[in-house]
Amino acid sequence: MKISYSLLKTLVNTSLTAEALGDLLTMAGFELEEIETVNGAPVLDIKVMSNRGDGLSAFGLAREILAKDGSSTPTDLYRRAAAHFADVSLPAGAAFEVRIETPSCSRFSAMRIENVTNGPSPDWLNEALLQIGQRPISVLVDLTNYVMLELGQPLHAFDADRLGDTIVVREARDGEKLTTLNGTEHTLAAGQLMICDAVRPVGVAGVMGGLDTEVHEGTHRIVLESAHFLNRTVRKTRKQLGLNTEASYRFERSVDSNGVVSAQRRFAELLLAIQPSAQVFEATDLYPLPASDLSISLRLIRASRLLGMSISVEEAARYFTALGFSIQIEGEQLAVTLPSWRPDIVREEDLVEELGRIHGYEQIPETLPSGTSVLGGVWGRYAATDRLIEAAISAGYSQVINHSLQGTSPLDAAAERVGPRNPSSPDLAFLRNGLLSGMAVTARLNGGRDVHLAEVGRVFTAGKESVHLCLVSNGDLHVPDRASETPPKADFFSLKADILDIFLAVGIELDLAAGSRDPRFHPGRQARLTRNGQEIGVIGEIHPTVANELGLAPRTIAAEVSLDAIFAEGDAELPLKSFARFPAVRRDIALLVSKAVPFAEIEGRLRRSIGPLLERLWLFDVFVGTGIPAGSHSLGIALVMRKPDGSFTDEEANQLRDAAVAELAELGATMR
Amino acid sequence: MNAAEQEIQNAVREAFSALEAATTTQQIKEIEQAFLGKNGQIVQFAKRMGALPKEERPAFGAAVNGAKQEVQGRLDARAATILEAELARQFEEEAIDVTMPGRRTRRGNSHILHQTTLRIKQVLSGLGFVYEEGPELEEFRYNFDALNYPPDHPAMDDQDTFYVSDDQVLRTQCTGLQGRVFEKTAPPLRVFTVGRTFRNEAVDRTHNHTFHQVDCFMVDEGVSMADLKGTLGAFARAMFGPEVTVRFRPDFFPFVEPGVDYAISSPKLFGGRWVELGGAGLIHPNILERYGIDTERYSGFAFGLGVERIPMMAYGVDDLRNFLENDLRFLDQFQRQPIRGLA
Repeated sequence: MKISYSLLKTLVNTSLTAEALGDLLTMAGFELEEIETVNGAPVLDIKVMSNRGDGLSAFGLAREILAKDGSSTPTDLYRRAAAHFADVSLPAGAAFEVRIETPSCSRFSAMRIENVTNGPSPDWLNEALLQIGQRPISVLVDLTNYVMLELGQPLHAFDADRLGDTIVVREARDGEKLTTLNGTEHTLAAGQLMICDAVRPVGVAGVMGGLDTEVHEGTHRIVLESAHFLNRTVRKTRKQLGLNTEASYRFERSVDSNGVVSAQRRFAELLLAIQPSAQVFEATDLYPLPASDLSISLRLIRASRLLGMSISVEEAARYFTALGFSIQIEGEQLAVTLPSWRPDIVREEDLVEELGRIHGYEQIPETLPSGTSVLGGVWGRYAATDRLIEAAISAGYSQVINHSLQGTSPLDAAAERVGPRNPSSPDLAFLRNGLLSGMAVTARLNGGRDVHLAEVGRVFTAGKESVHLCLVSNGDLHVPDRASETPPKADFFSLKADILDIFLAVGIELDLAAGSRDPRFHPGRQARLTRNGQEIGVIGEIHPTVANELGLAPRTIAAEVSLDAIFAEGDAELPLKSFARFPAVRRDIALLVSKAVPFAEIEGRLRRSIGPLLERLWLFDVFVGTGIPAGSHSLGIALVMRKPDGSFTDEEANQLRDAAVAELAELGATMR
Repeated sequence: MNAAEQEIQNAVREAFSALEAATTTQQIKEIEQAFLGKNGQIVQFAKRMGALPKEERPAFGAAVNGAKQEVQGRLDARAATILEAELARQFEEEAIDVTMPGRRTRRGNSHILHQTTLRIKQVLSGLGFVYEEGPELEEFRYNFDALNYPPDHPAMDDQDTFYVSDDQVLRTQCTGLQGRVFEKTAPPLRVFTVGRTFRNEAVDRTHNHTFHQVDCFMVDEGVSMADLKGTLGAFARAMFGPEVTVRFRPDFFPFVEPGVDYAISSPKLFGGRWVELGGAGLIHPNILERYGIDTERYSGFAFGLGVERIPMMAYGVDDLRNFLENDLRFLDQFQRQPIRGLA
């Protein structure tokens, strides 16, 4: 809210500069956003908290300044405002009929004013509005705005000749129509709060007046409305009608129902100063739901304990009095009666905040909690997740963190997606159901080739939120150097080794199973990733058509694993194996075998045959070419064997090897 | 000198001249073999011992041994000289240009938000807080109701919300974890989380619809605003350096009472001005009571802050969108540097 320094000075005698006032208000909770200079005079822009509607006026801010700063004193205007301008005396006129037919209006006051002319405002008023960026319209409208700025009470002036003789505050009937003074025609619905005359709505209560009854150049008689409405009803109505005004902004937050008539009196006083010939009559004031005097008791010992600083009874009494609360001291306790403009205060802790705020939070010392100490830390699945991403980084993958909200991608997982029902753009229409789609976009952003990326993040399907890890790898496995001008390329097997190693780093052994049929991947180059036989992920070469569509170089490999099942496991045991000190023997075999026979089958048979004496087995060669029949390949396999209790003889080693090879005969494998 | 001794002397001289002529370790080995080996010339002399008269044997033996030692000594010295020369030659041949580029396998880098998060986890763990997480797709009641938001209150306008359904939202703050923790855990407790939050708002350099927050809270007997200030001070000094001071300013959040905005300042950073980090306060008693916690006995504090704010302040990142865009030219600049202020 913009408020000029000069307007504040009409209420507070102070030697503080605009900057100093801004700082003081900031430390009272009314944050200074900036100070502008308009026509050489400073204007403060103050952010008022949504529970402090009482701060949305010069009077309200002046009260805070006076409570915070002992050297500032109230002006005569401030004292009169605090006394509700009771000194403005007006003649009683003919009563104006007002009916309140809804509990959403706690007070309604109508003031008749006659013999006015609605021309331009005097210079001081134009200037006051221009300073805070408001466009002067006419003296009657400008005065309502000025008084709202000064006291916080929204006012509305109806042209009395265009309004019937009655005002009814009621809910709209379905289908009623009202054109508001911004020119918009609204079709109203039941439940929306309206100001009406005997036959039709003439204004949206607490929001905006109607066009028909607006004051204009020829206006000579007005009815000045000042009222109080329930904040929730104003909010609901203005949201439904798509309106947002200075008045509704205040009513939504809170307006002092005890200030309704004093704002009209202030308006009358200012108008009479400009147009002494105007005839102003005492308002017709209906106040069916008056603000109640709530009292809360405050234990100062408790307040000091919660704040961590001690405040004396005398200090507390001074602060509350300055803020307009009435108090009764009962030993170490205060009975605090709340003013009508502070509906935000409902319990003792709210009073504790008032004390702390006015005493000054800068007085609070720094201590560390002295209570029961617990063992702090990052444990369990959260520690494992951090270690997983660290392992991926160590394996040469750059960590990325992608958006959860995405559009649609050919790499989305098959599971049903969910998304916000009010997305601001199609790119934010869905929550990702896998990490791969976002990773592909990031890979593309970074050139689409020679990139190796890792992400751990949440993914969403209907009714389920999971944590996934995803790797994407493409192109050169490392930068070219003198030793290898064309470095090895990422392929299925480089990523397979990495994903298995990354999980081994947290003690999790994954397996691969052939037979995956995921349309996002190359049909012949994909596999399921499994844990204890349960499928928890997929690895494969991204389908060349999809890769091309997404701007990725061919042979982009990806793996994505759900961590949920792993997290669900208990802590694994780590069975330590004893190790033998006797020498190992190595036997190499060269097998001629059909390509249709999976290597895992050959490996399994070799392992089963040799048993625990087989220390290591690896594939050191895959050969196709001269001498190899079509459809077959030659596999070079190394077997390293070791006995726990002695050395192998050549004969023993050969026997084991031969027996193992014999197991392969069924697979059609022969020794070359 | 008898003939035999003369013969020994000749053999020694022969060995010396052979050593003199030798230039390689291999030649030295051959000479050793020829003179001092099992069948070497000098060793062979010893076999004649048996044929000599008894009284000549000691002198002859001494002469053979002396010769052996003499040759061995000369040979060792010569071998050392040659080895040294050979090594010198080898080193010269093998010298490399150390200014050529190193050869490395690939390196990965951790995301700056992850680095920052790890640092936060270290610091808050050290202050006794336990790390926990809640869902990003949060139930309305945990995100708002459980945090003391009055129904249909303007405070909700401050947080433009993505609704997935009437009762599910993308969490607008990580504070929703409080309700989930209070349901399961009785005080005393100290918990923190770091996670992703969402606001349905326009994106520019300083706003994004998705960002990350730290939320930290504790409930125990006698927890005060001073404890909050001390904890924030310890946290801020660990993140930004030992000179940092903390300032509270009153602010309103439905879930704290008193509620504050906290700012930090350091003569060494940000030109000494106050920089706001986030919201904090004592946990609203309505929340504690909602979960059956006796507010006469217990009180608690909570604070939150944006994760992105930390590298933005520490490194001068000027566009919030960079963090989730993942251009490696941006991310690779953060090579595991500590947050500034930490030695």
